[in-house]
Amino acid sequence: MNKKQKILLVEDEESLAVGLQFNLEEEGYEVVHAREGKQALEFYEKENYDLIILDVMLPYLNGFEIAEIIRKTNPQLPILMLTARTRKEDKIHGLELGADDYMTKPFHLEELLLRVKGMLKRKEWYAASIDSSPVFKFGKSEINFETLVCKSGDKSIRLTPHEAMAMQYLIERKGKPVSRKELLERVWNITSEVETRTIDNFIVRLRKYFEQDPSNPQYIKSVRGIGYLFENDA
Amino acid sequence: MLIGLKKINSYVFYILVFILAQLAWMALLGLWIYWYVSNSIIFEEVGEQLSPQLDIDSPSTFIFVGGIILIVAVAFGMSVIFRNLNVQLRLNRLYDNFIANITHELKSPLAAIQLYLETLNSRELSAENKTKFINFMMNDANRLNNLINTILEISRLEQKKIAHDYSVFNGSKIISSLIQESAEQFQLEADKIKFNGNSDSRIVIDKNAMKIVIDNLVDNAVKYSAGKPEIEVKIEDKNKRFVFEFTDKGIGVEQKEVKKIFKKFYRVSDSNIPSVKGTGLGLYWVKEIIKSHGGKIFCTSEGINKGTTFQIELPIYGVSKKQLIKNLLKMKNKRSKHKNSGNEYE
Repeated sequence: MNKKQKILLVEDEESLAVGLQFNLEEEGYEVVHAREGKQALEFYEKENYDLIILDVMLPYLNGFEIAEIIRKTNPQLPILMLTARTRKEDKIHGLELGADDYMTKPFHLEELLLRVKGMLKRKEWYAASIDSSPVFKFGKSEINFETLVCKSGDKSIRLTPHEAMAMQYLIERKGKPVSRKELLERVWNITSEVETRTIDNFIVRLRKYFEQDPSNPQYIKSVRGIGYLFENDA
Repeated sequence: MLIGLKKINSYVFYILVFILAQLAWMALLGLWIYWYVSNSIIFEEVGEQLSPQLDIDSPSTFIFVGGIILIVAVAFGMSVIFRNLNVQLRLNRLYDNFIANITHELKSPLAAIQLYLETLNSRELSAENKTKFINFMMNDANRLNNLINTILEISRLEQKKIAHDYSVFNGSKIISSLIQESAEQFQLEADKIKFNGNSDSRIVIDKNAMKIVIDNLVDNAVKYSAGKPEIEVKIEDKNKRFVFEFTDKGIGVEQKEVKKIFKKFYRVSDSNIPSVKGTGLGLYWVKEIIKSHGGKIFCTSEGINKGTTFQIELPIYGVSKKQLIKNLLKMKNKRSKHKNSGNEYE
């Protein structure tokens, strides 16, 4: 590894923060620690980070608010939410606001480190694959993988990071079928509690964006028994 | 948000049921009156024809007045029940809040302890790091223990099962020594606490319970100050009472909140608070303890960022609330007879 990957750790509990920082540094990451919401945004604006570990209950600005603010300007930065809240609603709320993953306290150290590693790996792959050509055109559609803004006909929408990653992965393997399992591993964390059904719902959404007739797809096609494939004949 | 909506709905639902119930029994009453009035004319006519000398006028005023009294009684009863229900609903809402807070307060130290145990288990650590981590773990274990004790002690206090240990003290001396003790625990510098005023009055307190009061006040001053807390304590006699004022220069309390903060489970929900720790039990506990001492506690604040003052009034030994103080000391004497040990009076 040439350059240390940088993680912004936002946690107001002193003891937890010190322990996390120690462990992440032992794994070879550079860690910046913010103690509350305002400080977190300050640090975020000053430097570039590869990943954010975000507590939810924080003074001044809570984790949900921070995630929302970050997502407005940076749709790709991986966010791992770490919180004592265990209610399903909180989890869904966090993921909706753009967190990539959600872990509840108390957590297992090894699991946390694996998830961080997985998220960073996915980010690297995504960054590398859009590096050469951030804008991809097909048919009447156009996706900018940097800003996640896509145009389809006269419509213009912004994809979620997961949607963009899924599209990116399918496009990268143009013409080759991609299994649901493969998509799960690449786009979501394998440990995430995302079911294969979720992938299908996802594809339905992507087709709505890009297909003129979603029930008769021209680009994002189903492959029976395997998964999906992207085709672009034009 | 969804849950909030559901709660408002259930609230509206209860009010609606209440109003409907009122309408229902009023309608029933109306029906009866209508039936009575329309029939009484017939009765009167029939009665007059059968036996004109019979007098049926006298009981009607009695029934009328009695009926009104009954209506008022029923309405009163209903509104009392409704008010109680309201209080219950509010408490339920606060309780949900409390559960969320307590989950956070229990899980955070637990998460840290687990993290350090797994670290110790999986990594080679320097002796220095090992000590540091073990210290963190001990602190967190302590925090958990304190929290659990708070919950248990409050429920004991509420059920009056707590055995108080009251003695007579010099008010000025005991309060300042308890504050200093507490400040040391919270690692506040000595010059950050100023004492003003004086009093030679003697007060009757349970030293351990009063320590809890002071600890909570200091803890609040620390939690709700943006930087290092500054505390001012003023001691004096006022209106035959021993009074001490505890002022911090923290973030203050809004006028509309100064009474609410003593309610069980209540927490001020404002994102400008420098700490999210807390359960909504601390000041409730403080108030209950002061109450059991025959005293009173008030909170005043000039507003946001202008600090907070807690004023505590306690009865003076031999001057005010003599009977109550006698009873408090009696409790102590009963206990010491059991233990057969002497007690130190200052």
